[in-house]
Amino acid sequence: MSEATSDGRDLERLLTDALRPIEPPEDLSSRVESTLSSIAAQAAAELSQWADELSESELQALRDPRNWVRPVAAIAAGGAAAAGAAVVVGLRRRRKPSGLRAAAEQLLDEIRP
Amino acid sequence: MTGVAEDSTPEASAGDRSASDGNASKAELDRAFEELYRTHLRDVYSYAYYRVGNHHDAEDLTEQAFLQAYRHFERARRESRGRPLRPWLIRIAHNLASNYHRDRARRPEAALDAVEPPSHPHATERVVQGREDLRVVIDRLDDLPDDRREALIMRFALGMSNREIARALGRTGGATKVLIHRAIKQLEEMIAEDGGDE
Repeated sequence: MSEATSDGRDLERLLTDALRPIEPPEDLSSRVESTLSSIAAQAAAELSQWADELSESELQALRDPRNWVRPVAAIAAGGAAAAGAAVVVGLRRRRKPSGLRAAAEQLLDEIRP
Repeated sequence: MTGVAEDSTPEASAGDRSASDGNASKAELDRAFEELYRTHLRDVYSYAYYRVGNHHDAEDLTEQAFLQAYRHFERARRESRGRPLRPWLIRIAHNLASNYHRDRARRPEAALDAVEPPSHPHATERVVQGREDLRVVIDRLDDLPDDRREALIMRFALGMSNREIARALGRTGGATKVLIHRAIKQLEEMIAEDGGDE
């Protein structure tokens, strides 16, 4: 080791040199964006599928704010697993699925008059 | 302390700013998250790399960190009250890195072994000596207690202020200042001992 580290300020300079920021690989950015997009798409698809199964009268009833709590809860229970499936795409370690907020917000957007 | 001044908290970007009315639209949230992501991708990746010691796992860890951040972004933004969200992101990466080491029953100290100091294509003797100095610093960093090493990574690899590091590690500003001071002092002593042994 040279004399450089005999002074604390030189050690800090060495630390700055040794611990330089690391540029992420170019494809990492698109990889993460793609995963995030797939979460949103999966949540939307799940909701769309669910809405297709409803009759006109059920859709009409959903426009009444008093009925909003139950379907949101239903989405929460039934949609979380499917929406979460996209979360794990490309991940080595499996994580608990989510997408609940996206599903609920999408639902509210669709049923608001 | 040279490096970053105590109160030099960077300006919050749009991605960091909290929604003032608490009713940010989904589109606005997504835009803000995208900005947060683009602004801090290198920070999260650098931190992950210095914690796990290889690019492959650093990529996975970075991806997981942003996915986790995305899930909790609205709440984090609301509760940040305009403060920068970088410490929150780094804290997520920090927890994931801890899980990584725990799951693999690896000592975190092994991570920096694989980190190579920056190289120079036309190395003179002085440059080679400098590179050896960096190798010694990196090796000795590995021997520091986890919290001291992590604080130094945040300070020197990411340029975080004491205040930001305190938020990322869940400590007070004073405790963080002491932590960094002791980390540098311990590192200095270890390197001095190495010199004495030669």
